[in-house]
Amino acid sequence: MKMIFKVSVERCIACGKCELACAFAHGSEGRPAKTRINIRRRGPELGTPIVCFQCDDAACVAVCPTEALARNSETGAIEMVRSRCISCRMCVAGCPFGNMLWDETYHCVQKCDLCGGDPRCVPFCPTGAIAWVPVEEAAIPPEPLDRETLVFEGGV
Amino acid sequence: MPTLTVNGRWVTVDSDATLLDAARAAGVEVPTLCQFDGLEPWGGCRLCVVDMSQANWDDDWFKVVTACNHPVEEGMTVVTDSERIIETRRVVLDLLLARCPNAPLIQKLALEFGIEQTSYTPNPEPDDCILCGLCTRVCDHIGVSAISSINRGWGREIAPPFNEPPPDCIGCLACAEICPTDCIPYETSNAHRKIWGKEFEMLRDPKTGEAVITKEQAQHFAERSGVPMTYFETSDRSKRREMAKTFEKLQVVK
Repeated sequence: MKMIFKVSVERCIACGKCELACAFAHGSEGRPAKTRINIRRRGPELGTPIVCFQCDDAACVAVCPTEALARNSETGAIEMVRSRCISCRMCVAGCPFGNMLWDETYHCVQKCDLCGGDPRCVPFCPTGAIAWVPVEEAAIPPEPLDRETLVFEGGV
Repeated sequence: MPTLTVNGRWVTVDSDATLLDAARAAGVEVPTLCQFDGLEPWGGCRLCVVDMSQANWDDDWFKVVTACNHPVEEGMTVVTDSERIIETRRVVLDLLLARCPNAPLIQKLALEFGIEQTSYTPNPEPDDCILCGLCTRVCDHIGVSAISSINRGWGREIAPPFNEPPPDCIGCLACAEICPTDCIPYETSNAHRKIWGKEFEMLRDPKTGEAVITKEQAQHFAERSGVPMTYFETSDRSKRREMAKTFEKLQVVK
């Protein structure tokens, strides 16, 4: 079954769990600043998760001079092949959505690779704002989140 | 898909693979300096030499070849750790150490082969450049060709034409980034960049002032890839903010 990464912006409460999960899943440091999914926060419990769209006709792939970005046909993700990357940062400048990230520590480009078909951020999302769903379900509009009565498991 | 043996281990690889790919597939480490997956193999550093015997050759007949650019064939036998291979690599590293006595990468590799001090006359003008050609090859690959190797033999070096700031250089730093011994100097900031004696102005985000590429780089890659120039004009941070704004409308707060 073909799966797709679905983001329901209206359900995001900007808790930052996906950022942490991503930082821990990629690299040993676990620094939230090194996440590949970014939440733009704009008020209490309000945010917009920003993550790679895995575009069909991707600008990052078009500008890459060494063909270091290639689509994984199994997961549908555009993956960065570390051994081919020359760190020229053209993809960082070229991505129209700002989803190619430059890692100064390791001197290489970071991008969402859908964790090889099992995105680690998804199980940590408490409201289902991000989900890994079959393609057929991708167009179903998400249920609105009732923020007044929002209670988490083992809540405060 | 040809099947061959590397150090006695059977391995099956794609027909367009090289001996180096086969060795890696078999889990055998072969030292390399001038090899890079994104570029054509070149066989310049001579460190990846291996013993190779084809299926129809006599059993004890082996030829020394560079693994990085030698294609695989059905039934080949490859040996990467024979005495003469280790000796060949030792001589290569001894010579490289004589040329670049101060390069940490060469010192480390040489030490792995038991060389602490070169047995040849050390280079009177120590230089970290090992002439692996990665910088010129990556420059060619990008379609710029601003630098090349000049002179021959002892006097060979990497330089822009006439040792002047290269007019074709776009300031992408690919040469400096790919250099295995980090011997190409450059300066970069959000405002300016300098490499090979040429000054560049960065393409800065109008709001935040951040920049990752030069104006020449944006122009070159916009022409080459067909990506509109407007994509390059703002920083990734600004673009994420703009995208978030677009999606804010969707958020209905109850």
